[in-house]
Amino acid sequence: MGGQLRAWLDERLALGEVIEALHHKTVPHHRYSIWYYFGGTTLFLFAVQVVTGGLLLLYYRPSAGEAYESVQFIVTRVPFGWLVRSVHAWAANLMVASVVAHLFSVLFLHAYRRPRELTWVSGMLLLFLTLAFGFTGYLLPWNEVSFFATRVGTDLAAAVPIVGGSVVRFLRGGDDVSGATLTRLFGFHVALLPATATGLVLLHLLLVQRHGMSVPPSIEHRATVERGTVRAMPFIPHFLLRDLFAWTIVLAALAALSTFYPWELGAKADPFAPAPAGIRPEWYFLWAFELLKHVPPVIAGVNGELVAVLLLGAGGVGAVVLPFLAGHTARTRRAVVWAGAAALAFITLMTGLALSAVAP
Amino acid sequence: MTAPRSGAATVLVMVIATAPQISAQTSAPTAAFADDVHASAGLTCGACHMRQAAGSYTAPPRNAIAPLCATCHSDAAYMRRFAPQVRIDQFLQYQTSTHGRRMAGGETAVATCNDCHGAHGVRRVADARSPVAPLNVTTTCARCHGDAAHMKPFGRTAAAPADWGASVHATALLQRGDTSAPTCAACHGSHGATPPGITSVANVCAQCHVREAELFRASPKKEIFEAIGQAECLVCHTNHRIEPPSDHWIGVADGAVCEQCHDAAGESAKAIGAIRAALDGLSAEIAAADAALGAVERAGMPVDEGRLALRTAREQQVQARVLVHTFALQPPGEAAAKGTAAARQALAAGQAAARELQIRRTGLGVATLLIIGFLITLWLKIRRLPDLPS
Repeated sequence: MGGQLRAWLDERLALGEVIEALHHKTVPHHRYSIWYYFGGTTLFLFAVQVVTGGLLLLYYRPSAGEAYESVQFIVTRVPFGWLVRSVHAWAANLMVASVVAHLFSVLFLHAYRRPRELTWVSGMLLLFLTLAFGFTGYLLPWNEVSFFATRVGTDLAAAVPIVGGSVVRFLRGGDDVSGATLTRLFGFHVALLPATATGLVLLHLLLVQRHGMSVPPSIEHRATVERGTVRAMPFIPHFLLRDLFAWTIVLAALAALSTFYPWELGAKADPFAPAPAGIRPEWYFLWAFELLKHVPPVIAGVNGELVAVLLLGAGGVGAVVLPFLAGHTARTRRAVVWAGAAALAFITLMTGLALSAVAP
Repeated sequence: MTAPRSGAATVLVMVIATAPQISAQTSAPTAAFADDVHASAGLTCGACHMRQAAGSYTAPPRNAIAPLCATCHSDAAYMRRFAPQVRIDQFLQYQTSTHGRRMAGGETAVATCNDCHGAHGVRRVADARSPVAPLNVTTTCARCHGDAAHMKPFGRTAAAPADWGASVHATALLQRGDTSAPTCAACHGSHGATPPGITSVANVCAQCHVREAELFRASPKKEIFEAIGQAECLVCHTNHRIEPPSDHWIGVADGAVCEQCHDAAGESAKAIGAIRAALDGLSAEIAAADAALGAVERAGMPVDEGRLALRTAREQQVQARVLVHTFALQPPGEAAAKGTAAARQALAAGQAAARELQIRRTGLGVATLLIIGFLITLWLKIRRLPDLPS
């Protein structure tokens, strides 16, 4: 029966060829191989988000009058609703951490090099989409903290020259955060962003499949000198089983976090109430939030916040087109490593400052 | 963090802090008058220092000050020019006050207009800097009524301001900033200040404590207190040092207020004991439910329905305590019973959440064991894979 079904599918989808290709696929094996698993971990967490997000959609109601109550219903009345919501929230945070680790590992191992420029670009776009998922999902419970954090977050866009005001109104669906904001961020979160992310993930995977895993230049050089080739392991079963091992550990961590630290719902948002003390964005936006606090009001006669936003924008664009800017010499690779290390240190420092500022 | 001051210390500090403001008005009248409400209305020195040569003004005699102020402040036609709805009965009221009557009798050491409002730096009552603004008025009264030497010739003690400073009313005003909390003038009147008589004390308290007053008037205690000449509310709550009421007041043991009239042997002692038992039982149920809900909340469990039930219990507790003023067993008993039922509902919600939490943790334990088993199997499988080509 199973054989007949497989033959039936194979005749129509040519799955045999794909499976055969996977059996012949190999993955480089060296002392930095552990960093390869962050890509798979991010993909696993994305799958968790799709599944848990779909389950939450069964009960969630995207309106200012019902959003909070529907989430309250999910966590108190729906069987395992608390678990699904907590896993969704924790997996979102772990996914951001995983994708950032993946980004910096690719950067430090120079995996963006020719011919993988488009793999890097698609990965950077996926990072931005991940952050956009976080930002749009944050408001959906319609609680006090998310409401005011979204107001602060969308306010930042106003600093963009010329189009800033229009961008703020587009994000909010009006002059201030309201039910209209909730509806459109919900639309972004469950339709526009997932559709775009799925397309980009498929492109990213296709490019990874097309070019294979990158080998760091130092490993490549040593292997060429010593053996003439880099050691490799079969994708199936060697790499796949190790990937499965990492996914299982992440699953166990998600279960433990969700049980011992269930994601809080807080108080319902009240647009007419004063903003509570200590409003701040999610941890992965804290560094930018802190940076803006330290920017002087005027820099060289120009609005300081505008300068900071423009610099952040230039940094983001620079990161996307990095493979086209970086040269192929050892010297430029060292420069990229130093620049990446400086960015990582700066982000860590700013995040630390922001966290220490709000610590009791 | 500073230690809380006693009532006497609070009032003393306030007096010391504000006394220089009023003395400065008479030592440097010109400077003080620049910020005076009369100056802002366009009046000059001659408006009060009538028939005196400019530059050689002297203070009017103390018994002439109130009539002098009244020449304008009792003139409706004149005062309307500055404020259409301003009151003009201050002097009439003053004449009925203890201050006014003694002043008329020749005793000039009693308060007159400028003692409370100031002389040359008079401000509107609504101005927070005014000596008679809600936050300052007790300090102003305490300048005389908190001074034992000043009060001795009148046969009065100087304890009232300090007692008020230790009261629940002072806490509301000075610590919570509730400017609707009663100060001296709220109970004694301002311009017509006089101690309320025994028969009118309940009316004074009833200005704010409407429900308690209604219940008391309908209770058998009213007639009894009137018959024995007791000042109603004050019997249990005292006058100036009105401390936060406590369930411990209800009883016939030492420290309870009922003990003043009731002994432990009578039928009434049983009823008092039953009311106290109902209130104590409700307090214990609320404490147990609060602890149960707090424990699961700290573990991240949502217990909104439990909190709602607990709020109902607390509302019934307030209701039961108010109904004590019926001086009957049934009304507070019924409210306490409703509160107890709500508190038990809250406790049940907390216990259910605790069970759910335990189930979650047990489930996590089982899942973790399965995951560990799976990881070990996976690891063994990986170890048994063929070696990689070197």
